[in-house]
Amino acid sequence: MSPQNDSVLRPAATLGASSQVQAEEALINWRPSRHARRLVTLVAAALLMALLTRNPALAGVAAPPLLILGMARLGKGRPDRLGVRVGLTSTRMYEGEPVALDVSAADDSRDLRWVFHPGRGIEPGSAVAVNGPAARFTFEVPRWGKRGVGRVTLTLHDQWHLTEGRVSFTLPAVDCYPSPAVQRTEVVLSKLPNRLGEHRARVPGDGTEFTGIREFVPGDRQRAINWPASTRRGRLQVNTFAAERSQDVVLLVDATTDVGKPGESALDLGLRGTAGAARAYLNARDRVGVITYQWGGAHWLAPSLGRRQLYKIIDVLLNADTGYARGAVFSRLPRAALPPGALVVAFSPLLDGRFVEALRDMRERGFALIVVDVLNTEPPVRRRFADTAARRIWLMEQQAIRFSLRELGVPVVPWDGVIPLDLPLAPYTRRPLVTRR
Amino acid sequence: MTANLEQPSEPVGTAPTATAPTARVLPPRAGVMSAAGSRLAAMLLGAACIAWTATPLLHTGLAQTALTVAIIAVVAGALRLALIDIPQPEDHFFLPGYLAAWLTFLAILRVLAWEETAVVAILWLEIQHPARPWHTAALGAALLAYLLTTHIAESGTRASTLLRRHAKLLIVGACLLALGAGFAMIPAASAGAGSAVLRVLAALAVIAATALVLPA
Repeated sequence: MSPQNDSVLRPAATLGASSQVQAEEALINWRPSRHARRLVTLVAAALLMALLTRNPALAGVAAPPLLILGMARLGKGRPDRLGVRVGLTSTRMYEGEPVALDVSAADDSRDLRWVFHPGRGIEPGSAVAVNGPAARFTFEVPRWGKRGVGRVTLTLHDQWHLTEGRVSFTLPAVDCYPSPAVQRTEVVLSKLPNRLGEHRARVPGDGTEFTGIREFVPGDRQRAINWPASTRRGRLQVNTFAAERSQDVVLLVDATTDVGKPGESALDLGLRGTAGAARAYLNARDRVGVITYQWGGAHWLAPSLGRRQLYKIIDVLLNADTGYARGAVFSRLPRAALPPGALVVAFSPLLDGRFVEALRDMRERGFALIVVDVLNTEPPVRRRFADTAARRIWLMEQQAIRFSLRELGVPVVPWDGVIPLDLPLAPYTRRPLVTRR
Repeated sequence: MTANLEQPSEPVGTAPTATAPTARVLPPRAGVMSAAGSRLAAMLLGAACIAWTATPLLHTGLAQTALTVAIIAVVAGALRLALIDIPQPEDHFFLPGYLAAWLTFLAILRVLAWEETAVVAILWLEIQHPARPWHTAALGAALLAYLLTTHIAESGTRASTLLRRHAKLLIVGACLLALGAGFAMIPAASAGAGSAVLRVLAALAVIAATALVLPA
């Protein structure tokens, strides 16, 4: 086995707390270093001028760099390939969450230097031990989406720093999830489906919340007898309890328009709100599904339970982007995506007329709807009369849209993305939401 | 490639605490100081080489030109080292004028071979003067120091490590420099250009012999 291949087979330096996500034998591209080119220039210029001016002292000037250049030829062999390992502390993260990138090479006998070139939408942080066999870089992703982390370039030097090898490799992509909004309370429907859950229903059942007393009938459990009440009335009385049910919640995201500053746009707020609501309802043991409405169609995920569903929902949200999408037609969503009697929470800037029409249609079909208005920007104020008039007309149109929805019995609550979602939803979380057809 | 299937932690992210066991954690202050020190040293050595070669000041056209070129090259080289950490954006579209000019300036600083230009200009300035063997030998040592310091500054290598490896060669090189100066001081056996060229060739032969004999 040739000594060049030794470095490939040797185990790489141990990574830190990260998990290995990429390991490869990268091809090294060797070439003279800039330092070598400078020494060659000094040697050539000094020798040429020594011969031109017949001055032996100038030949002496060429001697030290010539010696260094000569020694480089006697150096040890250069490997063609190098084992490189890449590790990330996480390949999935929330917006603004710091992530560490560990890189290590299977050669600690040479001078190594790591350089991290971050990809689009990646904000580099600190770097540790970039001149060694293992380095650590930190970065964060300020906005949700699937992001390529970038590239890492490794420069190897020989003993004399006269030849340098370059290894460049592309880092894997990461998924950045929208940071969930804070929501601790839930909107609960007045009519809940007959399924065991944690919400108190209006019908009596086997829950834990006391609702009243009634006369004992054969078949009642003896442990439910209320002895003080039975003693007072002279007949056996039993306690009654409220049933505990769960509900179906469908989160509707309007991804047709994305207005506002990047990072605080309507789509950003919509996705953060959806992620927060999904987490809150799933924690309350509700079945949660999601529908993203885009130009030309909709993506959907049927309601389900559990923590895994939260990540499925966020994965669906990551595919939400303004633009045309091929998917199911919104008016023909299957029953599984939009079960009858489900609570629908829509996050929308209400700028797309077709989406507003779809909301009206859903309300007319009897769904209980709440719209969280995520529009947090307005047209700029300008001095020209035409601009001012257009702005006023636009504002009036927006008010009219919201008014028409409220008239249909669809609450529209504004949310700026800063305050918890509990605050705008407070009037609807204090008591069950009554669904009227 | 294997993708890990871990889920993200809670949204309030915590900074990764564990560091790679093999990573040497250097105090950042020390790194900044050493980088600034080596860049400053490179600039001062370049300025010293120019000052050493330019004195006494010559007023011939070629000498003036060489001096100007050397000053420009050393200053540009020092600026390149000072601005080496500024990243260059990948997109150059729709940039304002001042930003485009700044990026062009950075690109010129990074692309052109300023140190090589400075070395040639300084040597050219040196041969404008009448022969002065020991002065030239000292200049050779200073130029080599300038190039080594520039390399240390731009590569971020630890100076002590690099100089320890080069120590033996630098000592032999210094001896050869002195030998070259000594050859230049030997009076010519006979008048004419032939004997001068012979002395240069003799000096070169000594250098070549040393390079061949020196062990790896």
